[in-house]
Amino acid sequence: MMSGGPAVRVSIESSSERQVQEVSLDGMETYVPPLSMSQNLAKLAQRIDFGQSSDSDEERTDRDTRDEWSTREAEEDDGTVKFQPSLWPWDSVRNNLRSALTEMCVLHDVLSVVKEKKYMALDPVSQDPNAAKTPQVFQLISKKRSLATAAQLLLKGAEKLTKSLAENQEQRRQRDFNSELLRLRSQWKLRKVGDKILGDLSYRSAGSLFPHQGTFEVIKNTDIDLDKKVPDDYCPLTVQIPSDLEGSAYIKVSIQKQSPDIGDLGTLNLFRRPPKAKPGSQMWHLRLEAAQNVLLCKEIFAQLSREAVQIKSQIPHIVVKNQIISHPFPGLQLSISLCHSAGEKKSQRASPDRIKPDDHLYVLEHNLHQLIREFHKQTLSSVTMPHPASAPFGHKRLRLAGPMGYDKAEISSWQHTEGLLEKIIKQAKHIFLRSRTARTIDSLASRIEDPQIQAHWSNINDLYESSVKVLITSQGYEQICKSIQLQLNIGVEQIRVVHRDGRVITLSHQEQELQDFLLSQMSQHQVHAVQQLAKVMGWHVLSFSNHVGLGPIESVGNASAITVASPNGEHAISVRNGPESGCKVLVQFPRSQAKELPKSDVVQDGKWSHLRGSYKEVHWGRMEGRNFVYKMELLMAALTPCS
Amino acid sequence: MGVTCVCQVPVAEGKSVQQTVDMLHKKLEQLGGVKQGNFWVDCETYHATANATGQQSKQLYVMHNSEAPLSCMALYEGGPHLTADANFDVLMVKLKSHFQNAKSHKVESRGARYRYCDFLVKVGTIAMSSSAKGISVEVEYCACVIPADCLNLIKEFMQSFLGSNAPEMPSNKTEGQLYTPVDCVDPMSQYLELFGKVRKQQVMTGSGVR
Amino acid sequence: MEAPPVSVMPVTGGAINMMEYLLQGSVLDQSLESLLHRLRGLCDDMEPESFADHELVYLLRGQQGNPFILRARRSLLQPTSPWHLRYLGQPEVGDKSRHALVRNCVDVAASHSLPDFLNEMGFRMDHEFAAKGHVFRKGQMKIVVSKLSRVLVPGNLENTEPLSLSYLVELSVLAPAGQDTVSEDMKSFAEQLKPLVHLEKIDPKRLM
Repeated sequence: MMSGGPAVRVSIESSSERQVQEVSLDGMETYVPPLSMSQNLAKLAQRIDFGQSSDSDEERTDRDTRDEWSTREAEEDDGTVKFQPSLWPWDSVRNNLRSALTEMCVLHDVLSVVKEKKYMALDPVSQDPNAAKTPQVFQLISKKRSLATAAQLLLKGAEKLTKSLAENQEQRRQRDFNSELLRLRSQWKLRKVGDKILGDLSYRSAGSLFPHQGTFEVIKNTDIDLDKKVPDDYCPLTVQIPSDLEGSAYIKVSIQKQSPDIGDLGTLNLFRRPPKAKPGSQMWHLRLEAAQNVLLCKEIFAQLSREAVQIKSQIPHIVVKNQIISHPFPGLQLSISLCHSAGEKKSQRASPDRIKPDDHLYVLEHNLHQLIREFHKQTLSSVTMPHPASAPFGHKRLRLAGPMGYDKAEISSWQHTEGLLEKIIKQAKHIFLRSRTARTIDSLASRIEDPQIQAHWSNINDLYESSVKVLITSQGYEQICKSIQLQLNIGVEQIRVVHRDGRVITLSHQEQELQDFLLSQMSQHQVHAVQQLAKVMGWHVLSFSNHVGLGPIESVGNASAITVASPNGEHAISVRNGPESGCKVLVQFPRSQAKELPKSDVVQDGKWSHLRGSYKEVHWGRMEGRNFVYKMELLMAALTPCS
Repeated sequence: MGVTCVCQVPVAEGKSVQQTVDMLHKKLEQLGGVKQGNFWVDCETYHATANATGQQSKQLYVMHNSEAPLSCMALYEGGPHLTADANFDVLMVKLKSHFQNAKSHKVESRGARYRYCDFLVKVGTIAMSSSAKGISVEVEYCACVIPADCLNLIKEFMQSFLGSNAPEMPSNKTEGQLYTPVDCVDPMSQYLELFGKVRKQQVMTGSGVR
Repeated sequence: MEAPPVSVMPVTGGAINMMEYLLQGSVLDQSLESLLHRLRGLCDDMEPESFADHELVYLLRGQQGNPFILRARRSLLQPTSPWHLRYLGQPEVGDKSRHALVRNCVDVAASHSLPDFLNEMGFRMDHEFAAKGHVFRKGQMKIVVSKLSRVLVPGNLENTEPLSLSYLVELSVLAPAGQDTVSEDMKSFAEQLKPLVHLEKIDPKRLM
């Protein structure tokens, strides 16, 4: 390089290939001897700037570390200037690489932390010149520490969450209890006493006067083990029923012929299966219903026992333990018993007893329930609100009695009401009388083929009255022989028989009376049938009597008799029919046909021969024909001359 | 409640009230009547104390009948009547400053009650301040409430044991009333009339029959 | 045959010396529903019954002293039921510790001829009103919630005008004299109605 003249002239020349080591005073330039291949490589290697990078990801970290790098670069620059060949040319490279590796590892950690943004977010921080001095490791440690606190916070939060979740579940159970309670409340009467919830099972609000409290307690059943599986039928609400209302009960009503030993009384133990749970209904509901039923049965029984003791009857009613025995008819006993099974196990044990025939009268049990409810309604309807509203409470009838001037008879009629027991005994009597009447008629119908007996029971009947129509006919002659039509009105104590012609006969409850009556009617029917047949056949009735005063005396009723004459008057048939003695048929022939004409001195004239002569008995048993009327028809036909 | 006819039976010549009553009982029993307890009808008289309106004050009668034991009948002669419950008596006590009970005017009729089929016959002794003043006979035909339908029957029945003493028809009935159903006040108004008659007789005869 | 025995009160007599224990209050029309709801919950298990009555107040003036007041009331819903004639005495002065107003009371059920008969007796109608509302029962306590209306044309119950924008609430018990314990029951019952209606012992004389 040359410097000539005062003006500074900068000459541009290509850089020398070698570096100038020193410029001597004479301007001689001493060049640095060219580097050997290995020296050159080492130098180039030294030149590698590890601070430089092309990765964009590192941009942010660059800033953090730039100062650091720059200082190093400065050092390196120095190093380049006063180059001292080291012992090992790769030493610096190795050092740099190692530090780079360390940096990279740390960087990786930082990145992974940064990448998971949930733990930490990075924001530009105002540069603290001192911070720049903080050593890397220290920084890392502090970062780790803050991360740890963050993690701790998060963990705490998570713990809180799980706790509150458990609490929620607890609360839900509580809510379940409340909703169950609401449902219970909609169907049962509840009230709060102290810290207890009590319910009312009794029928008091429906008019019952039974003194039993009938209270049940509602119990919260929420403290079950959370870890264990909750059973399917789990319900947060349970009810506690008074022990005497547990189990199931019913009233058994039966009518027996002979009375069992007095020792057996009061130990009747028959149980029915507990009712199956209806789907969708709660356990508590079933239990409460069952308990209410027990209560009602107890009330019915208590009412019946009280009446049984109070009411006087010819044969006193017996009340033993859980059984009431009454004698509606002599030799017959009505037993009403309260069957109460305390637990479910017992009922299963008792089931073998059920093998013996069940004579339970379900109709009467049902009626008892109906009666007690009627009774309830009566007590309830007696207390009505006054109108006008200012008037005092009281019986409506009593309020009316004064202003309406009710008379003594009317007032005393309010005071007498039939009790439950009286009603049920009446019903039992009627049921018994009805079934026995049916049996009597059926047994007669099956025993006696000729004439036939038919019974038409009416479907509609009263609690204390039912009726049956009894027809006595002859097979094949139903159209002409319908003389006997009886209407039997079966009451409580007696049977009223209404004839077709309006005659009324009253029979007592004795079975024999009805049987005898029907037998005599059947015997009369035969004679009536002959009468009807005679009309059809053109025969003349000469005499007819329902009650013949002659001949052997029947033990049952009276014999009836008829005499009919053939159209031309030549023959006559005489029939006598008794309920016991059976029928006797005689035919009277004209004198002319008589085989041994009685020689008479008086009756000589020929005209007398037209008179009917002697009677001859027909061997009725030997007659052809399937029944009496048919035989008679044949007989009449045989005696009628063909003209 | 049926159609009723109340009449007074004069005491038989030379007999006491009690003897005449016994005679009637005997007749009824011969007829087939069955004695069924006793009966009584009473009547209290109230005077209105000076009325503010100044109008002529009428007498208020409060009557009771054992046949309607829960009722209390209040009547004005020829005027309106009221049927109420027994508390009306209590009310009259409360009203004593306005209505004065004339104790001496209390009349009652007590006696036996006979039943003959659908007829109820009550023979009573009319008493004023516990002395017998006459005999009342009430006949009720329980099977009917329309007077026109059964008055003749009642008349005939009454003649069977009262003879000529039987009245023509209930004294309080007008033609129009014969066709309206009777109520519990009807016998009471007849008794009231009868009691009034007895009271007048007493005033006229002075000492009355004994 | 003896007539069947009738075990009823003797002919003359009736229930002597009955007392009415009374607490009164009122409730605005808009809060009626909530009061009825509360009463339905508290009272005996009968369907709450509504009523419509017509009350006539009669006075009998004597020469001296206060007029004698009788209240005749009939039901408009059940026209066949008897009239109710009521005498109410002056409130007992009594001790202050009693929680309810106590007054003598005579209740008479009477036939429909009552107005005519009262007229004949010298009573004159002072005023009349219609009361419509609901009646509840709790044991022997009677709770009447009623709307009182003025009768515009005498005797015409079709044409009425409400007296106020509120309902009268009355809690009353009928008991023989001397049974002051009932007022305790009444007080505790009134407590249960507290925020909805305040039932108090109101002396009608003070209001006059």
